[in-house]
Amino acid sequence: MANEEYEPLIVGFCCNWCSYAGADLAGVSRLQYPPNMRIIRVMCSGMVHPNLVIDALTKGADAVIICGCHIGDCHYLEGNLKAENRKEAIELMLEDFGLEPERFRLEWVSASEGPRFAEVMKEFTETVRALGPSPYKT
Amino acid sequence: MAVKVAEEWLNICGGCEVSILDIGEPLLDLLPELEFVHMPVLMDHKYFGQTGENTEMEIPEADVGIISGGVRNEKEKHVAEEMRKKCNTLISLGSCACFGGIPALANMFPLEDLYHKVYKDCKTTDSGETPTENLPPLLDRVYALEEVVPVDINIPGCPTNPDLIVKALSALLTGGSFEIPERSVCDECPLKREKKASGGEIKRTLDSPEFDQSKPWDNTRCFMEQGYLCLGPVTLAGCSNKEGGENGVMVPRCIKGLMPCRGCFGPIRKGANPLVDMMSAISSIGLDAKQVPDRRALLNRYIGGQNRLRPLPARPK
Repeated sequence: MANEEYEPLIVGFCCNWCSYAGADLAGVSRLQYPPNMRIIRVMCSGMVHPNLVIDALTKGADAVIICGCHIGDCHYLEGNLKAENRKEAIELMLEDFGLEPERFRLEWVSASEGPRFAEVMKEFTETVRALGPSPYKT
Repeated sequence: MAVKVAEEWLNICGGCEVSILDIGEPLLDLLPELEFVHMPVLMDHKYFGQTGENTEMEIPEADVGIISGGVRNEKEKHVAEEMRKKCNTLISLGSCACFGGIPALANMFPLEDLYHKVYKDCKTTDSGETPTENLPPLLDRVYALEEVVPVDINIPGCPTNPDLIVKALSALLTGGSFEIPERSVCDECPLKREKKASGGEIKRTLDSPEFDQSKPWDNTRCFMEQGYLCLGPVTLAGCSNKEGGENGVMVPRCIKGLMPCRGCFGPIRKGANPLVDMMSAISSIGLDAKQVPDRRALLNRYIGGQNRLRPLPARPK
């Protein structure tokens, strides 16, 4: 596939209370950002098991982003701390699966940060586009 | 009439055959009902006639086929296919047959690299070309038996638990079914768990865990929480034997030897990925996942077949 045709496929796990609302705000404010991300709404960033991330990356996604509430703002008090603890394990596993560390990102986006959400997505999509397709893509 | 059994060993050390002998007394009850018609480890039976005069591989028909060992080369593939044709029920015995086993660690490297390492660039022997004459060519990687021919019963373990062989054979003799329930080694482990590691450091298994053998098992703290890398949470149960008579508790074999589980029974469910599950288990009880040495090989030690271990995809430059 020629690189100009390549459109990265990004799976985004957004927490119901902050980031999904943030994405919603970006939408209703009509902010432009690339359509490459497929948002999956989850109740909390802390419930995204590393399995889900690795499965997505080895079964066709080019990158995965987890968005949650800022530290201290978690609806469930410490779900996002859990997500942060897992981040390191996920990064180590990317290495074990031969994937670039840039293909995974953990970001905090609050419900009022629509513009920030659009900005993060724009920047992440460009990073992934520069990396090229995932080696696991068939 | 006795049930005909054919046994075959492929890419294996022979430990699972010892495990069949290790059945002990129950074997005496089983033997009159079994007739071993083919078993290279015990009997001299040539594939192509006694003097090699035949052209077709000859394995007698049997009701039950037991194969231990994974499939590494063309000959083993041929034998496996022939066994499948001749046997009504096929049992894959041991982790090598079920998941590739220890030899499947080689799946981390392309075949060419292995040839180079062993024959061409070997520092300790005379290097040379890979021998090909009179030797079956290697397949591109180590396969689990299941990837080559359909298998009816899987009995994992390295070596496997003799009790499971008895259970499987008795089930076949009586027409019952045999399945290992989807439980983890932790579900059967009697050690005391507090859901939190005592420290962040991962210890080497050379150091001994804290225990007091004069007290019952549940006075000893979980090895993982003591900081040893124990694969219990992501490994299928089945190795446990009853300790201490009728009212005793089930103790997994490695735990009984005061060693953490090494994961020889393989994943709990088909399709599970123990590497990923284990990494999240390590980080959720508060151990430092970074300290795990050689993660891919260590956490896939017995299960490198079925594409769990493969050469890493080349990174784009």
